[in-house]
Amino acid sequence: MTAKTLMNPNPMTLSPSDTVAIAADRILQHHLRHLPVVDAQGHYLGTFSVYSLLKLTLPKAVLDKHGLDNVSFVTEHVAHLAQRFGGRRDEPVTNWLNIHEVAHPETPAMEIMLLMLHGRTTSVPVVNKENGRLEGIVSFWDVLEKVRGENA
Amino acid sequence: MHGSETQLASTVIFGLNPMWYAAILFILTYVVIMTERINRAIVSLLAAGLMIFGGVLNQEAAVRGVDFNTIGLLIGMMVIVAITRQSGVFQYVAIWSAKKVNASPWGILAMLSVVTAVVSALLDNVTTVLLIVPVALLITEELKVKAYPYLFSMIVFSNIGGTATLIGDPPNIMIGSAVGLTFNDFVVNLAPVVAVVIAATLVPVYVIWGRNLKAAAEDRQRVMDFNEREAITDPALLKKCLAVIGVVVLSFVFARSLGLEAATIGLFGAAALLLLQCWPHNADEQSKLVTHAFTEAEWITIFFFVGLFIVVHGLDSTGALKLLADHLLALTGGDLTATAMTILWSSAVLSAFVDNIPFVATMIPLIKAMAPTFGGPEGLMPLWWALSLGACLGGNGTLIGASANLVVAGFAERAGQPIRFVPFLLMAFPMMLMSVAICTVYLYWRYL
Repeated sequence: MTAKTLMNPNPMTLSPSDTVAIAADRILQHHLRHLPVVDAQGHYLGTFSVYSLLKLTLPKAVLDKHGLDNVSFVTEHVAHLAQRFGGRRDEPVTNWLNIHEVAHPETPAMEIMLLMLHGRTTSVPVVNKENGRLEGIVSFWDVLEKVRGENA
Repeated sequence: MHGSETQLASTVIFGLNPMWYAAILFILTYVVIMTERINRAIVSLLAAGLMIFGGVLNQEAAVRGVDFNTIGLLIGMMVIVAITRQSGVFQYVAIWSAKKVNASPWGILAMLSVVTAVVSALLDNVTTVLLIVPVALLITEELKVKAYPYLFSMIVFSNIGGTATLIGDPPNIMIGSAVGLTFNDFVVNLAPVVAVVIAATLVPVYVIWGRNLKAAAEDRQRVMDFNEREAITDPALLKKCLAVIGVVVLSFVFARSLGLEAATIGLFGAAALLLLQCWPHNADEQSKLVTHAFTEAEWITIFFFVGLFIVVHGLDSTGALKLLADHLLALTGGDLTATAMTILWSSAVLSAFVDNIPFVATMIPLIKAMAPTFGGPEGLMPLWWALSLGACLGGNGTLIGASANLVVAGFAERAGQPIRFVPFLLMAFPMMLMSVAICTVYLYWRYL
């Protein structure tokens, strides 16, 4: 079993010019966790995910790699978080991409499961090795369905 | 680094004169360190090896060149800081100080500048900015003011504050160790002038930025709502840390009457704090905690020092530095004032562009060689203060003048408000010259 047999070949995607507001709508509307971002030629650029949304509502000082690891001294109201998110609604999604490890169509299933486990992610983009285009996306659910199907 | 007690070979590898071989190797080492293409620890260790392979030193002589008092003190303090920083006490102080001035943007800028200076005097500068800058970034984000003035000031004041004490900046540790100066000697001789420099540097910071900073009342309230007590992550650990740091500082103060050297105090303090932190835990947990504390020490800096001490000792043992000292004395006519001023200003300008650690490592034996001209080691005191002030404050001249500068620049870059080389130079270099001018007056008035 490889990525090609597991993946959804027509995932919902975002384009680089889409705004944070559009991405947030889609994520909340469809209850998706990850939206791959692809350019006009279909090249995979990164993933906008629920974690991107979390980051959008946090101060930059917390997100820095040497940033604060304890912010329990900050007492913010939901209104403040909403305000921060509001200020970033019109930014392009490309400002907030997560660069995940990707799979290739020929990547074996076990390797993909390991990528999910180590990357703490529930879906893995499948990218063509030669041209960098997004071929599909393998989600946690696809893999589990297959595994259960074999035993059913 | 102690004179030239080594038996010298008359020729080294390839039949070269040892002085030439050592000098060429030394200059190459400097050049490669300055290009920053290869990690400085690798460069200095390779160069140390080449001093030995080339026959300038044998291993025994090389090891004698390493100042283990400096190394021990550095490691001891690094371990103590690695444990203490986990307690959140430095964030507590930063937030507390911001609230003391009612979260006014200029008040916070001034307070955080002074806090940075004071913390830098007790910790190394890189650690200080790593602890304070994230708080500053959070506060500026909440106040919706530019972070640039704050980040700029953290750079400048960390270098100024570090100048005040034995443990504030590596050049002071090296000078103190090589000359046998105590914590008190540094505080008594340098802290007064550092206090003046802090006050004086706040003036341009106010004129350029401070007076124009404005924040909305509602945003200031958000900072006032910070609960600094929550920044303390581990109150029990904090008490242990403060107790150990208190005893360590007291031991530094009484080091001379106790007959203790700095490395003993630093390493014993580290061991005591590790004991206090570890004893309630089982063996497995203990080794995790100890591993963490040791990993946090900056081994690149430590090994850089080890290699550098050997390289400089190699050069010194060939008599090259004595020769250089004689030339310098000929230039200044053996006049103490002229020599002190030359050392102060050249250290400041050079340290603005090159790493001050190798510079100071080289200057120490060079200045020691001047002792006969100035009536023995006692007569050299003004020169040591000149070296310390110049080398530490010079780091403020450019963005590459000290490692803390680059750490802050990294934060600025990631926060989307980059600090560029030339704009920084245009503001910081004149401020650095002003601080050295203050030191010139101070040295002249007090010692010359």
